[in-house]
Parts: sequence; structure tokens; C-alpha cells
Amino acid sequence: MHDTKPEITISFGPCLPIAAMGLLLSGCVGRQSALAPAGHDAEQISNLFWVMTAGASIIWALVLGTALAATLGLFKNPTRLTPNILIVGGGVVFPTVILGILLIFGLRLLPNWQSEPDRLQIHVHGEQWWWRVVYRAPDQIEPVISANEIHLPAGQAVEFVLTSADVIHSFWIPSIGGKLDMIPGRTTRLLLEATRPGVYRGVCAEYCGTSHAKMAFAVVVHEPKDFNAWLEDRTSDPNIGTDDPGRKIFLSSGCAACHRIRGLTEIGSVGPDLSHIGSRRTIGAGIAENTPKNLARWITDPAHMKPAVQMPAYRALPPEDIAAIARFLSNLN
Amino acid sequence: MTNHLQKEVKRETGEGTDLWRVILAPTIWAVHFLVCYVGAAIYCEKAGRMADLLPVRLIVGTATFIALAGLAAVFISLWKVRGLSSVNDDYNYAGNTPEERHRFLSHVALMLCVLSGVAILYAAFPALVLEVCR
Ligand code: HEC
Ligand SMILES: [Cu+2]
Repeated sequence: MHDTKPEITISFGPCLPIAAMGLLLSGCVGRQSALAPAGHDAEQISNLFWVMTAGASIIWALVLGTALAATLGLFKNPTRLTPNILIVGGGVVFPTVILGILLIFGLRLLPNWQSEPDRLQIHVHGEQWWWRVVYRAPDQIEPVISANEIHLPAGQAVEFVLTSADVIHSFWIPSIGGKLDMIPGRTTRLLLEATRPGVYRGVCAEYCGTSHAKMAFAVVVHEPKDFNAWLEDRTSDPNIGTDDPGRKIFLSSGCAACHRIRGLTEIGSVGPDLSHIGSRRTIGAGIAENTPKNLARWITDPAHMKPAVQMPAYRALPPEDIAAIARFLSNLN
Repeated sequence: MTNHLQKEVKRETGEGTDLWRVILAPTIWAVHFLVCYVGAAIYCEKAGRMADLLPVRLIVGTATFIALAGLAAVFISLWKVRGLSSVNDDYNYAGNTPEERHRFLSHVALMLCVLSGVAILYAAFPALVLEVCR
């Protein structure tokens, strides 16, 4: 048994670490990686990660080296004191000092909340399984209501005000900063500064029910002036085709009971705001590309794309009607 | 073996299982922890999110000073037991005599004393860095 296939056992060996490295490294680029930072906090986290990885590797090598040396009998003529020095030095003094340094280092990374200048606030309300997003700029009278997509100005600190409707969610944009829990009945605050314009991806980082894994959002970082133009644009109604057939079907099918479209119907607030849905990158909280086809799929049977979703299926509507609604929504921007 | 045990007993480091002394240091740690955290929580709840943390930092500083002084006293008294027993075979507890139990528990208490000291310092660190309640 043992000597029949020795080559196979050996030949797999070296491949595994390489395959594992490949898998690991493929996570280090792209729109959702704490190791490809595009924000001030993410940079600090990534630096911390590398420093700690290096430190941990050194300590690992030291401990195993000592164990190996002891096993091989390389410690010549140990005195009675040698084990004491190793135990007290390596077991008490060393970890205490290292952990103390890490503690102070970590505490110093805490954001400076001392001054509270007028800055852009983005309220994000986690809900099974999507995000309400409300922008409040200091000089802006009316807040801008949106959902499932977050736009940020580069180089400006933005205060996220985080709340939850039902269970604990966690708000995390890995490329831009650390994560923070959204706790029912409490308000938590996160200060983030994006540094690099681009499109990133945020996620819910705390298991929150059946479709937790399908609770994400797109993050768009603009140059500050483009951001201001974008926000300005969102303070006005979308272009709504008055004789768009989809518009009538949207209203007559009861969608408005749950969804708001600025300037058309402002009663519904159970589901995401659809005012500028045509301009969003994804639908269903980051789970599918925003195309008329996917919109039609969603409306026909949202639970097919997102299990246990809190929106009813509209399989009873004729496909042409659904396609018309999808087209109507795609044009809202 | 019998010989050896007799020698141990003769060292007269004291007797008694002395459980109080074992938990004394961790108790100081627990009280310090509660004073710091409960103190900060009550103060910040009353004073508001942007309040200056200075009073809390003073409380933490004083509590830390008292706690460390208490620990030092415990440490010294335990160290004396250790001093009395500092001979070869110090860690031989095979005899199960009252003297050995006392020595062993004192040793445990001494280790807990060090642990509590480290824990108290770590719990006090944030007071050096944080400036407002938030
Ligand atoms: C009972 C309330 C309710 C009704 C009625 C309803 N929806 Fe929804 N809808 C929701 C909820 C809740 C979500 C969010 C689901 C999620 O992502 O977890 C949603 C999500 C959506 C989305 C995705 C939004 C985004 O930000 O990606 C679209 C598009 C949508 N609904 C369209 C419609 C249309 C069209 C109708 C009518 C045919 C309709 N909805 C009827 C509750 C409702
Ligand atoms: Cu969630």
C-alpha cells in the first residue's frame, strides 16, 4: 500500500501551496479587497496587516527555531536558569511588551472624533436584505433618498450614520475602510475617507438571515466636483416619460405601495427608493447587473434571485407588461 | 523519598490553603476594571457624546495607582513565601503536605498577581489616548 504510489503523494505536495497562493492572491486585487486600498482607513488596515504578518512570521520562526534547537539538542550545557529565562522572558515579558505595543498602536489608529465640522453625512439603514441610503450635505435643505448604491467624493471625510431595522448587519466597504455593525435600536458612526476614484463593492459582514450573502452594494467614488454635480442632480426629479406605458402599469400593479419614485409617487417606503434606479449599477442590493432583462427577471420572481426576499413575485403579470415596467425603470435617471 | 519530604516540611514556609490570597489579585483587577468601565459609561451617559474625558481619565489614573499599590503589597507578601522556599526542588509538590499546598498556592497567586498587573495596565491604556466620550 505504502510503496505502490509514492510519486503521486509527492508530486501533489508542491502544487498545493502554489494553488493556495493563487487563490489567496486573486483576492488581493479588484473592487472588494482590503489589500488594494482606495481609502485612508483601508490603507492603515492594509499596513497593519503587513506589519503584523511580518511580525507574526518572525515570532513563528523564533518559536519553532527554539523548539527545533531544543529537540536537536543544540542548547549545550543548559543551566538551571535557562528554562526560567525562556519561560519568564518568552512567556511573560515578550508577549506583554508586544501586545502592549500593538494595543497602543491600535488605539492611536482610532479616528479623531474630537472636532465635528460640518461634513457630508450618509445615513445607511440596514434592512433584510438591502440598504436605505440618505445623503445629508451641510448646505443642503432636502436630504437625498436612495438605496443600494453609495456615491462618495474622493479626499473628503464622510460620516456614515448606521442603523438597522431588524437584526444586526455590518456595513463594510473593504477597499475604503473597516467595518462597523448596524445594531437595532442604536446608532453607530463610521468616518471614512475614500482616496481613489473608482467603483468598489460593499457588503453586509454580519450574518443576518437567509439572503445575507446577497446583501451588497456598489460604491462609486467621484472627484469632488463630479460628486457635487451628481448630488445636485439627485435633488431633482428623474425624467419620467409621461406617455411611457410602463409607468401606468407600475402604478396600477401596486408597486407604488412599497416603492417611491420622486415626482411620481411618494407614499411607498417599504422597499428601496426607485427614483434614479436607471442610473444604478446593480439591482437587488448588488446581486445582478442593472439591465432591462435582469429587472424583468427580478419583477417576475424576485425570490428566484434572492431567497426569502420581502417583495412579492409578479408572475401573474403578462411578460409584455413586466418588460414595459423594466424599460420604464431603466430609463429613470 | 521520605527523607526528602521531611526536609521540605522543615522549611516552615507556613501552612493553610489560603484561597483568599489566591483570588486577591484577580479581585483587585476585577474591581479596577469595573471602576474604569462603569465610571466611564455613567459619566459619558450623563455628559453626552462630545464631553471631555478628563474626569474619567483622572478616575482611571487614580484607580490604576491604588490597584497597582495593592498588587505590589500582595506581591511582596507572596514573594516572601517564595523566598523561604527558594531551594532546590522548589517545584516538587508530590508530598501533598499542608506546607506544600501552601507553597504551591502562593506560587499560583504570585503568577496571578503578575497577570492582574498586566491586565490592569492594559485596561488603563485607552485613558491615555482617548480624549472625548465618543
Ligand atoms: C410589499 C412591498 C413591495 C411591493 C408591492 C413591490 N416591491 Fe419591489 N421591492 C420590495 C423590497 C422589500 C425590495 C428589496 C428587496 C431586497 O433587495 O432584499 C424590493 C426591490 C425591488 C427592486 C430592486 C431595487 C434595487 O434597489 O435594486 C425593484 C427594481 C423593484 N423592487 C421593483 C418593483 C416593481 C416593479 C414592483 C411592482 C410590480 C414592486 N417592486 C413591488 C418590496 C416591494
Ligand atoms: Cu445584513
